[in-house]
Amino acid sequence: MSSGPAEVFDLGYRGYDGERTGRWARRNAIWRDGIRISLGLGRGVGAKVAPWLLLALALVPMVVLVVVAAFVGPATNPDDFELPSYGDYYGYAMVPLALFAAVVAPLLICPDRSDRVLSLYAARPITALDYVGARWASFATVLLAASWAPEAVLFTWNVLDAKSPGSFLRDNWDVVPRFLAAGALIAVVLTTLALLVASFATRRAYASVAMLAVIFIGSAIGGIAEENFSGGAADAVSLVGLPQAMTDAVHWIFGDELDRPVSGGVSALWLVGLTIVLAAWLVRRTNRLVRG
Amino acid sequence: MALLRAHELTKTFGSVRALDGVDFEIDEGITGLLGSNGAGKSTSLKLFLGLLDPDSGTAEVLGQDARSSPDVRARIGYAPEHDCLPRNVSAAEFLAYMAQVSGLPRTAARLRASDVLRHVGLFEERYRPMETYSTGMKQRVKLAQALVHDPVIALLDEPTAGLDPLGRREMLELIRRVGGEFGISIVISTHLMGDVERACDSVVVLDAGRLLRSGPVSGFTEETETLEVELLDGADAVVAALRGRGLEPKLDGRRLTLEDVSGEDYDTLRDVIVDSGAVLYRLAPARHSLADVFTRDGAEATREEAAS
Repeated sequence: MSSGPAEVFDLGYRGYDGERTGRWARRNAIWRDGIRISLGLGRGVGAKVAPWLLLALALVPMVVLVVVAAFVGPATNPDDFELPSYGDYYGYAMVPLALFAAVVAPLLICPDRSDRVLSLYAARPITALDYVGARWASFATVLLAASWAPEAVLFTWNVLDAKSPGSFLRDNWDVVPRFLAAGALIAVVLTTLALLVASFATRRAYASVAMLAVIFIGSAIGGIAEENFSGGAADAVSLVGLPQAMTDAVHWIFGDELDRPVSGGVSALWLVGLTIVLAAWLVRRTNRLVRG
Repeated sequence: MALLRAHELTKTFGSVRALDGVDFEIDEGITGLLGSNGAGKSTSLKLFLGLLDPDSGTAEVLGQDARSSPDVRARIGYAPEHDCLPRNVSAAEFLAYMAQVSGLPRTAARLRASDVLRHVGLFEERYRPMETYSTGMKQRVKLAQALVHDPVIALLDEPTAGLDPLGRREMLELIRRVGGEFGISIVISTHLMGDVERACDSVVVLDAGRLLRSGPVSGFTEETETLEVELLDGADAVVAALRGRGLEPKLDGRRLTLEDVSGEDYDTLRDVIVDSGAVLYRLAPARHSLADVFTRDGAEATREEAAS
């Protein structure tokens, strides 16, 4: 078989006359991009360190505890080793999840602002709401997965460890919607707050510091109000401590009885209302940014 | 049907009237939106993209009100004047993403991204992070992202900004190719008359928010009734002889001009040059330039304002 010299053909410009997708597919493209940014996928090792480390901090302790329970638990006195409750683990996981929100969420908005890419989004067949909604959904997806995963591990272990998994499932099925709801509450509050804070900064570091400041200063004010004052006003001020409010709301969702000045139900309502206000602010803010 | 149509378009920002009831249409081909800073060029582009709401009037794109639906923008490309490219992403990845956001399926978006980058001369560099690109390469990526979804019309805001003379010439040649071979109509917003004269078929001239003139570029640069003659030697003798025959030439160095020439004047000039023994280097009717539009129409506007 003989072959002649290779030739390169210039096909010239070819237009595109194939399928064009609708608004949901365009939103989906932004959502997928947001997931990749959140997890550092397709980026260098440096971009992966912070998100995966913080996500591991939320998940790995539960896995370790379950492994310990599996291998050590049967040989020890049940009173000496006890797995955390669903509500208690959320109380712990909230710290790495909040740090994840503070460190990673700004990546979804700040570079688009500082590199002025928003003007290109503005010229695409999407709205500012499509853009920020898809960005919000992508980060919330990652946070939801990170919130639910350890609870799912715990629930699965409890089912497998039960003498009768079938009857355990019948008696405890309500734990699943509870941990889904509690995880959703944490993910939605942290996502909305972190993206709103990020929308006011062009540099990621400033946004991260601002997000941590909101959480820590709020917690300090809430703690002072709760420790040193009493009455309705003090209870209301104590709600600005978001981690505590989220912890109370999570325990309320699981039906845990806690001796707290503000009931978990009120905390949950406050967080839902606050998130709606923050979300409206975020949409308004993004609309201004995108339209320039 | 006009691709873009401004009807009685008015837009104010506070006390500044950026556009003052302008009417113009932009058809297929390459059109220059020409004007100095603050003329209303960028405001016009933003109104056509539906990013601004006009105070009155309408901005229509492909027969639809620009604000009617974001879907209108599926067939428009846009490259802003300023930097707008993410730094740590490759051109191939970014263009594929932008194509998807513009409504192309994933596989088609990747193919189009590579194809368009090849056409703008960045095929080899397409996987490099864009922060490593030169200004000229970034301008090409900006053009490529405006074309990646195969729009009907692309709006380019100052596409030659920041480029050296060679880069500017290459960019204008590329734009000519896009408008010709690619069949994508182009609107160039610019304050550089040379860019319009070199690359555009038509021009819309804005000045302080008002429409100065619009039409084919050839109409602005058509021949005038002034004759330009360049002589290497004997210019003074020719001028004297022409004056002797009742003509009024103006001499500027070795170049003389004759205004309002008729057919007979050409014969007279020929005879005078032959008789005087002068060496003729060039003889041609003078052409208008786009610069004349500003001086002539600007002067008329000033006179009208003074009269009113």
